[in-house]
Amino acid sequence: MTDLHDKLRLEIIVEKPALRRMENVLEEAGVKGWTVIPCLSGFGGRTRWSRGTDISGASDMIVLISIGGADVIMSALDPLHKLLDRHIGVLSVSEVKVLRPGLF
Amino acid sequence: METLLSPVVLFFTLGLVAALLRSPMSVPEAFAKGLAIYLMMAIGLKGGVEMSKTAIDGTVLAVFAVATILSFGLPLIAFFALRVTSKLSRTDAAATAGHYGSISIVTFVAALDALRLSGVEPSGYLVAVAAIMETPAIITALWLALRGRAAPESNAAALDRGELIREVTLNASIVVLMGGLVIGAIAGADGYERLAPFFTAPFQGVLCLFMLDMGLNAGRGLRRGWRALGIAPFAFGLYMPLIGAAIAAGVSLPLGLAAGDMAILMTLSASASYIAVPAAMRLALPEAEPSIYLTLSLGVTFPFNIALGIPLYIAVASALAG
Repeated sequence: MTDLHDKLRLEIIVEKPALRRMENVLEEAGVKGWTVIPCLSGFGGRTRWSRGTDISGASDMIVLISIGGADVIMSALDPLHKLLDRHIGVLSVSEVKVLRPGLF
Repeated sequence: METLLSPVVLFFTLGLVAALLRSPMSVPEAFAKGLAIYLMMAIGLKGGVEMSKTAIDGTVLAVFAVATILSFGLPLIAFFALRVTSKLSRTDAAATAGHYGSISIVTFVAALDALRLSGVEPSGYLVAVAAIMETPAIITALWLALRGRAAPESNAAALDRGELIREVTLNASIVVLMGGLVIGAIAGADGYERLAPFFTAPFQGVLCLFMLDMGLNAGRGLRRGWRALGIAPFAFGLYMPLIGAAIAAGVSLPLGLAAGDMAILMTLSASASYIAVPAAMRLALPEAEPSIYLTLSLGVTFPFNIALGIPLYIAVASALAG
């Protein structure tokens, strides 16, 4: 039977202008990789929102997903928390199992 | 009346009404972004070609200076008006004020179109004026918001000045507009002739498509964001363009601008940014509430300028400049 390995999965739904700052934090924390996905629409803070067509993308939301070891992900949480105090977004961490732990 | 019944305004109205009636209709995102780039490129190129035909004289330099001062100064008036008449916080008032010192390139394009309908061809250098007015207002807004505040912590989470400067000076509209302007000036009329089938004949149709999308955006913004506005901020979205236009008319008179050029300067001063400033505010003042400044800029001031403002500015400029 194939072995699976415990990791943490970080998921941040955040406004696009904050992406570079989020990425800087993850890089400084030593996270080895992440993926960014555009959001279509949603509801939060009593407001419905949807992906805009303005070329700056200032109103767009994105999802950033990263999987890593508990030590690395936990060390990124404090600066990410500070960023999310200023920017629109939510963060969640969940326990996942991965096939190839060396990638994370 | 002719301006109000132009296809450009009617398509905008169609989008606005469709969005207010909750129609699911939408213009595909990538297509709409492509249309915006096309329009800015076309305007930049045509402005550059026109500039290549005329020398930059003292009047042009004076207009550049006046436009810079207007963009720096209008947010001060807007901030004062919002703080006195509404309950907006200092940050929200400053962020909103920044939008009213900067410009809306689509309003600018609609004003050019309306002037051409009236048989007036404004000077090409006004494209450069539009680009000049994008940025100074952002600096004033940040100064207003950050005055008296403690400096941010110096770590990765703090304000990245380089990122902000890049956004303010190299945002898409400035790069495409100024790039088009320079390329148009270098290429001249002969170089542009080869591009005319792409940039001249289809321009009106593309503008109609884009205005349909803008109407949808304005209507949806208004429908979703009106709750965030009180009566005072809503009224501000209607009277601030008139203040901006009146000040621009006042400073245009001593410069001896032609009616078309004065109407454009009035329109630029009356318009509110919905591309460059929101992007800068999300980076520099993320705690400011976007549902306030975007609803005002896109949902209130933009439709006002398209439907009533532009014909009014053209009429006033024609009366003043003869």
